[in-house]
Amino acid sequence: MSLLTVEHLTMRFGGLVAVDDVGFSAEEGRITALIGPNGAGKTTVFNCLTGFYKPDTGRLALRADGREHMLERLDDFRVASEAKVARTFQNIRIFPQMSVLENLMVAQHNRLMRASGYTLLGLVGAGRFRAAERAAVERAVYWLDRVGLTDRADIDAGTLPYGGQRRLEIARAMCTEPVLLCLDEPAAGLNPRESGELNDLLTFIKAVHRIGILLIEHDMNVVMEISDRIVVLDHGRKISEGPPDFVRNDPAVIRAYLGEEEHEGG
Amino acid sequence: MAAGTLAERGRAFLPMALKEAGIAAGIALLLALPLVGAKTVSEGSAFVVTPRIVELAIGVVLVFAGRLAIASLRGGHHIPVVAAALALAALGWLFALPSAFLGVVTIAGGLAVACIGAIGLLRARRDRIPAAARIDSARLPRQALAWLGPALIALAILLPFLPFADRRVMDIAILVLTYVMLGWGLNIVVGLAGLLDLGYVAFYAVGAYSYALIARDFGLDFWSCLPLAGVFAAFFGIILGFPVLRLRGDYLAIVTLGFGEMIRIILLNWYNFTGGPDGISGVPRPTFFGLPFKRAPPEGVESFHQFFGIDYASIHRTYFLYFLVLALALITNAFTLRIRRLPIGRAWEALREDEIACRSLGINPTNTKLTAFAIGAMFGGFAGSFFATRQGFISPESFTFIESAIILAIVVLGGMGSQIGVVLAALVLIGLPEFFRELQEYRMLAFGACMVLITVWRPRGLLATRDPMIRLSRRRAPP
Repeated sequence: MSLLTVEHLTMRFGGLVAVDDVGFSAEEGRITALIGPNGAGKTTVFNCLTGFYKPDTGRLALRADGREHMLERLDDFRVASEAKVARTFQNIRIFPQMSVLENLMVAQHNRLMRASGYTLLGLVGAGRFRAAERAAVERAVYWLDRVGLTDRADIDAGTLPYGGQRRLEIARAMCTEPVLLCLDEPAAGLNPRESGELNDLLTFIKAVHRIGILLIEHDMNVVMEISDRIVVLDHGRKISEGPPDFVRNDPAVIRAYLGEEEHEGG
Repeated sequence: MAAGTLAERGRAFLPMALKEAGIAAGIALLLALPLVGAKTVSEGSAFVVTPRIVELAIGVVLVFAGRLAIASLRGGHHIPVVAAALALAALGWLFALPSAFLGVVTIAGGLAVACIGAIGLLRARRDRIPAAARIDSARLPRQALAWLGPALIALAILLPFLPFADRRVMDIAILVLTYVMLGWGLNIVVGLAGLLDLGYVAFYAVGAYSYALIARDFGLDFWSCLPLAGVFAAFFGIILGFPVLRLRGDYLAIVTLGFGEMIRIILLNWYNFTGGPDGISGVPRPTFFGLPFKRAPPEGVESFHQFFGIDYASIHRTYFLYFLVLALALITNAFTLRIRRLPIGRAWEALREDEIACRSLGINPTNTKLTAFAIGAMFGGFAGSFFATRQGFISPESFTFIESAIILAIVVLGGMGSQIGVVLAALVLIGLPEFFRELQEYRMLAFGACMVLITVWRPRGLLATRDPMIRLSRRRAPP
């Protein structure tokens, strides 16, 4: 049984079919990459998965811990809180005027809200809430250590350099303790050293936390090195799917990336 | 070499400055000719235009001098300019000018130029000091801020015992504190949750009318009505918030503005229930936990001065109202500071920063906004019932849009989200106009000037710095 099963996903914007009958699956403890030229519909697939768009047709089933969630029926925040799907954004969306640590505490909002008795216990400073808060800080520090931001925990997140903000966004997503992590172009704008570190981080998350990772990426070094499986989209359709070595040599993929008129591929 | 260039610059500077001042004076002349130069006087049934040459001339000369002073400051001639400006202000003070307005302009202009010159002089001095010896000006406000809060609270508690605290000062203090409390309440909605609410006065009105109506119809006293007023206001906050909180920014502002007006118009028109424009008079005055502040209490009731065995003084009630609103305001503040450390407070701030990111983290945006709206409304309701008990009479006229605008101005000028900023802004916006009453019709002019100065010097509010509510560095010593 796959962690995530996408079947017949179609999303139209007016007359434009952004995603056309796409189906794929993602496994626990595996990195599944979603690639394709600009405008292929990758981010639309993400937005459907995470509840930001309601797909026209299709079934998005997430199975984890013996429960099945129909993602297409959930509100965006329920996808995160109930189905435990976390995501990052193509254009970074951190909380710039809150500190790095606070960013990670916000990610643990629902757990802390329950512990604070929906604020009432927290107002009186109950021990249960303080213990939960300590645990939340511990978890935040764990991820700060992983992404190398521990010594900047108390500065405003908006003052972090670009690469730091990207890593913070991943750490923040991980603080929600997801079963599926969706990363929208995490290597965009990173220098080679930083994207090398990103590879290590994703490999670590996959190996140690055993969650599924779904990745949109243009940087082929990242994609080919760490992906277990690659899904290729072009003009809203799936044109290829398979392990990196297969996709790399698939004529349909080469055509999509290099254009129809290229003949030396054969 | 350096002296030579300085002298050269000095020579080139004077014609430039004179030219600049001449142009400014010319524009002033053109503008003032119709506005100041002619005055219509009613003579019998007809209006006669009489020229005002002297006023016009003085005004143009003032503009010329002011522009020359600014140009000279730019040229680096600080000391003579400051001296001249102070002399001018003194002249305006000592000699009666043809109109009071010219006097005010002369004094204020002279002092303003002197201040600018003095600041420039200090800057120039400081630049000569090596960087290492300078006071770290970025850190100074933060250190001062840590002391400002407790100092203000201590001052507030001691205020009634200070020699200058007569009835007038106490009344202004009560008014300022009411607005501080309203500002702190609205700060939760606007400063923390980032929801632009232009109708906050609606909750103030709901609180005031809740108290007045419950007291009138059910005979409950202030202390039982206070929580009820808060509950009613919060309830209204939820009723309003539920449909409109999915709107963003400007749209939310317009809807809340409309809601504020709706409440006022309902209060105005529902005559049988609210008394309409007649308002509600005879709202029970506060009691000291059951002891009324009356010279001659009704039979069988002991009054405050009898219980404590002191002579009756009407100012006792003023003192009590002062401490009551101080306590209510401090509770609001303590609650806000506490809740900012809780997950809900952090979620409010996160929603202000980026709602989409909050959704992706599983935060229910509607519920979170609704709690901010309801809690903000609750404190507005508390402030409203305080207002009703202080005035003893309420009518819809006290709850016009301008009140919402002033409370919002306090929050924005204070620096969104800053608690002390709200206090300072309330002192400036509410306290200053009261103290400026001696300026009579120039009161609002001075008020406007203060607002312009704040927006020019502190465009993000008086205190816009935000410190994180939770820190790692205290838990972990840096390596």
